[in-house]
Amino acid sequence: MNLLLLGMSHRTAALALRERFAVEDPRPALCKLVAAPEVEEAALVSTCNRIEILVLSHQPEAARLLLRRFLQRDLLDGEGQVDSQELDAALYSYEDANAVRHVFRVACSVDSLVIGEPQILGQVKAAYRASVECGACGPILGRLFQRAFGTAKRVRNETRIAQRPVSVARVAVDLARQIFESLEGKAALLVGAGDMIELALESLQSAGLGSVHVANRSPARAEALATRFGASAHGLDEIPLLLARSDVVLTCIGGDVPILTPAIVEEALRKRRQRPIFAIDIGVPRNVHPDVDRLDGVYRYDLDDLEGVAQTNAQERHREVAHAEAIVSEEQQRFDGWLSALSAVPTIRALRGRAESIRRGELARGLTGLSLAEGERRAVEAITRAIVNKILHAPISMLRRERDREAGLAHLEAARNLFALDDPEAPGAEADEPATEGRTSSEEDAS
Amino acid sequence: MMRPGWPYRWNGSARAERAPATTRGIALVLELHQWTGAAYLAASLAAILGLGLRSKRWLDGAIAALCVGAALHTLALWGLHSEHPPPAVTQLSVAADFMAWVGTVFFLALIVRVRGRGLAVLVAPIAFVSVFAGSLAAPGPELAVERASPLWSHLHVLLASGGLALLGLAGAAGVLYVIHHRAIKAKRLDASRSILPSLESLDRTNTLALGAGFLLISLGLLTGMVWLHNVEGRWWTADRHTNATLAAWGVYAGVVVARYAGRLGARQCAIGSALGFLLMLLAVIGVEVVG
Repeated sequence: MNLLLLGMSHRTAALALRERFAVEDPRPALCKLVAAPEVEEAALVSTCNRIEILVLSHQPEAARLLLRRFLQRDLLDGEGQVDSQELDAALYSYEDANAVRHVFRVACSVDSLVIGEPQILGQVKAAYRASVECGACGPILGRLFQRAFGTAKRVRNETRIAQRPVSVARVAVDLARQIFESLEGKAALLVGAGDMIELALESLQSAGLGSVHVANRSPARAEALATRFGASAHGLDEIPLLLARSDVVLTCIGGDVPILTPAIVEEALRKRRQRPIFAIDIGVPRNVHPDVDRLDGVYRYDLDDLEGVAQTNAQERHREVAHAEAIVSEEQQRFDGWLSALSAVPTIRALRGRAESIRRGELARGLTGLSLAEGERRAVEAITRAIVNKILHAPISMLRRERDREAGLAHLEAARNLFALDDPEAPGAEADEPATEGRTSSEEDAS
Repeated sequence: MMRPGWPYRWNGSARAERAPATTRGIALVLELHQWTGAAYLAASLAAILGLGLRSKRWLDGAIAALCVGAALHTLALWGLHSEHPPPAVTQLSVAADFMAWVGTVFFLALIVRVRGRGLAVLVAPIAFVSVFAGSLAAPGPELAVERASPLWSHLHVLLASGGLALLGLAGAAGVLYVIHHRAIKAKRLDASRSILPSLESLDRTNTLALGAGFLLISLGLLTGMVWLHNVEGRWWTADRHTNATLAAWGVYAGVVVARYAGRLGARQCAIGSALGFLLMLLAVIGVEVVG
């Protein structure tokens, strides 16, 4: 059995191409895919940055052709065909260990556009759920996804890949937390009503920000934004009054002259009894006069300041990638070991080896001190061997018979657990063959 | 007889007139003190590591160790003050020990409401040094001047020590406030991920400790005057200690009034607390040491 992954991402395809293959609900596509004889199990990850199909198949070449066709016929939107050469250039494929490694890297957000971003793990989980819901996820892919989630958790806990924010809005929230004990109950004044303001406000509100006032030149736009976020709308002339009541000020409004001058802010501070103000100025040109920095109670950060912090954090995340890759490699090897062990031949060989080792050991112990003739000794040997063979006959026959079926995989895993074949401390384990043989045996078995 | 109004005496000068207390209780108290010091030392190391590694777990460990230290410290103080004859509260080591206890307990009570665990990086080492200094000499029995007016002498020293401890806490919060404020103002790249408490938390700690400390130190001054009057029949001695203490109290009074009236910003208040504490230390202890 082979794992095969075919897809495209922000690294290989432009957004214009990626968006043509984007899938809202992958379940119908998965049902169709898994109905094909070449595909045993399947999953589909579709995000704004990638579209990837992962399948388990006995016929990798046939499956690869099927997936290529499937992409063009079933996933492509109805806006006309895509040039084959362009598509081939955008597509990448991975097999077996490389496919496993890629899935782990994606789940850990090492392969993301913004390294360490948390959304991708949720998207991979959604892909797994969709695959399970339409019956396309079997024991191998199920295990693969569970390990991918475990690996992502390890990377998150053991590295600092996701610790530092890399978006301007999140940096602003982190800075606000350095100034205020909590954003809960804090009031904010938004000067402007554009998209940037909206994005930053979303981050601040998710951090628990209390009441919000929106001041804008156009009352209609202020009203629209205020309605969406449960805020109050005001004109620009009310800013001095609102400033005295606001702990956080977010400005992004057009105009050549700064809206907040040192005199206005100083007066507001006096009215606030010197309680601090955090001014986030994301307007270009700047809306808060730089001389405001001279006032003790005001912490002003403009777009350059925030982007500087965000870029430094992004560089630090990149430095953590090597650590994350090491964890991915470790987990990938562990998964490969599990996959190899699920092949029938190494399991049967390990089972026989374990039984034979126990038989020999017990026989040697039992015969010590007995003076048996050579013929008698051979007879005892033959009897014990026959007993072992008879006991093992039924389970080994079942493992051989069902090795290609889903139930067979479950039996293989059960056999390994019941006979403690992976436990080096179990009786008879000292005579076991090395686990690395698994893949070779599997190949022999397949041939 | 030693004059009142000089509340803290170095052991060296006091040793001559005191017989060392050697009861079994004292031995136990000393042992408890050693364990208290060990807990404060562990808290100091954990807090410094927490700050260096930006690890909240280490800070949690520091707070846990401080709690253990405070519990042991309470038992040690209880044991010490149950002794007969009672120890001389005017002895510097006893007073420093009491200050460490008040400061630590106030800090632990404060962080239940204020997110200021990072302040442990200053509180724990100060507590450790105070307890360590206190354990260097066994406390001696009461002085004659204390026996002459035991209620007022105890009230004076305990209130003044408590006040000094809280003003020390306010000063520590003030120092951290200024450091953190400068980092954020200067837009240093690591300012957004500092493990120090937020400026608002440090300011609240500073303001609360300043208010409570000022109240206690004021009561300490008043009770000191009553003590002096009971012993010597006058209300004031114009010596260096009392004059310097009064000057430091005046500085604090100005800072507290301006802060609570909203006329003083958080940074100025932080600087005022830190400088005020230095002045108060100089007035209460330094004058005695130098003198």
